[in-house]
Amino acid sequence: MSSTLFDYLQQQPGMAYTRLYRQPSAVLAVLRRMLPHLAKTIVMALLYMPQPILESDLFAWIRPESQVELDESISTLKRLHIVQVVPEPAAPRAYKLSSSFASSLREALTGQGNHRSFGVPCTTRDPNRMTVEDLDGHARRRWEAILYYMVGSTGKGLGQADIISTGTKSLLEVGQFVTIRNERATITKEGFTFLLQEANAQVWSLLIVYLENALALHMEPVEMLSFLFMLGSLELGMDYSTASLTPTQMTMLDDLNNFGLVYRHADDQSRFYPTRLATTLTSDAGALLATSVKSTPSGPVTTAQAAGAGAGKGYIIVETNHRIYAYTSSLLQIAVLDLFARLKMRFPDMVAGKLTKESVQRAINLGITADQIISYLQTHAHPQMYKHAPPVLPPTVVDQIRLWQIQGDRMEANSGFLLANFSNFPEYEDVCRYAESLGVLVWKKDEKRCFFVTRIDQVKDYIAKRRLAAQKDVKSGQRVAPKAPGSVAGSSRT
Amino acid sequence: MPPKATRGVLVQCDESIMAIIRKIDEGRNEFIIEDLDSGTCLVKEGKLAELKRRLKEQLKETVREAEDSESE
Repeated sequence: MSSTLFDYLQQQPGMAYTRLYRQPSAVLAVLRRMLPHLAKTIVMALLYMPQPILESDLFAWIRPESQVELDESISTLKRLHIVQVVPEPAAPRAYKLSSSFASSLREALTGQGNHRSFGVPCTTRDPNRMTVEDLDGHARRRWEAILYYMVGSTGKGLGQADIISTGTKSLLEVGQFVTIRNERATITKEGFTFLLQEANAQVWSLLIVYLENALALHMEPVEMLSFLFMLGSLELGMDYSTASLTPTQMTMLDDLNNFGLVYRHADDQSRFYPTRLATTLTSDAGALLATSVKSTPSGPVTTAQAAGAGAGKGYIIVETNHRIYAYTSSLLQIAVLDLFARLKMRFPDMVAGKLTKESVQRAINLGITADQIISYLQTHAHPQMYKHAPPVLPPTVVDQIRLWQIQGDRMEANSGFLLANFSNFPEYEDVCRYAESLGVLVWKKDEKRCFFVTRIDQVKDYIAKRRLAAQKDVKSGQRVAPKAPGSVAGSSRT
Repeated sequence: MPPKATRGVLVQCDESIMAIIRKIDEGRNEFIIEDLDSGTCLVKEGKLAELKRRLKEQLKETVREAEDSESE
């Protein structure tokens, strides 16, 4: 998901942004991929504005009922160093676009400048020209080999997949998508979450791990990132020159070739072809390899879209007696099923088996959650299953899978942040409600004035903003909220 | 004073399990950051897997699980 890319970008120092935003292709990709629509609208409004715009003027332009979206947009824009608050300290508060972002975006939109950030097409003709089909095939083979390696089925008698490079293997291990047990790769919870994503999100997840390991690989993260953003702007089926690439980017080409993002002739270092996995990197509609699913039985695990789309995509039938029938001959899909079901029979176009307590708990022991199994079954449900929908899956089976998890695990665990020590109840209540509206609230306890959220950034911003507003009120002597008798500071903990 | 934010894993379970978790944590205080109520606590990040393992050990000693057959 782009949110992981967002997390990665957020950790970068301000300097990195200044360098990244010198590339028009990077700026365009960030605009396209990373920003909510309202944030895009704000950027476009500020793009040709010579002066900073007053906060009050900007906000007057947005409907009051869209406050949550507005907060989110402003917060995103600030975090990505796209807008700046001027002057500092802000009185009155005004916004302007960061200058490098603005000038690169203007260049990107109007086609000015002599940057080579959108790739340099090859001028000489390739004697062994690759077609779009060749490239799709290359991308699919490479990417599937990675997924197949993750489900740990190599050598299980299901068949042999392409060998993946040691670099890719260690990357998967560093990213904790697999752990090595008894010299064999075993999938982890993170790995299964990875499998459940659609291809574009998968690619980004792996690339983030790649970026995070840049320094260990002696590579320059900003150059890598701008190269990835550039790939997103290239055209499928074209070959591009490697002449303008930096040494880091040349090294990347080899790795990206292993991932299936680009194709290179083994004997021709001067050109590369981006594949569909690369050219759709920064588009927000991640259709990717979906087109190839129908044509080959061993299509990649495409998820999300398959849920509603039906025909040709879903392949699993689950019966109320826990038996499952999967109409597939894809080794990858069979291997995934084998993680949590007991498969008994295999036919040329179908496997049959059963969800048993043992098989489900084995998966849970690997760290895969009941919800992940259920969502996998649901996403890949055979169109036949939709005839009586909703619900798509038999409720008894769904409940049973959850029950098995509770038996094996007996607890629910969520990672995140506990917020406590609110100075008064209204503050607690208001912030808590805000967290709930964002959908990050997991648990709360009014008596203790504390609650638990899965993500904290926006909540923190909100608390700071609230406090600032409260301070102003106190200073100007207006509307100082009388303290409720019950909310004496310090009584929040028992 | 702004509110305090503590990073961790929120564990929710029923009271009997919570009692065992408390017992595991007793003494060395390796796992629980904050005991929130009878069925909720905040556990140190990265300690969850070990807690689960210890819990399973404890349960094996105390509860005899009905053997589940794989029969059809």
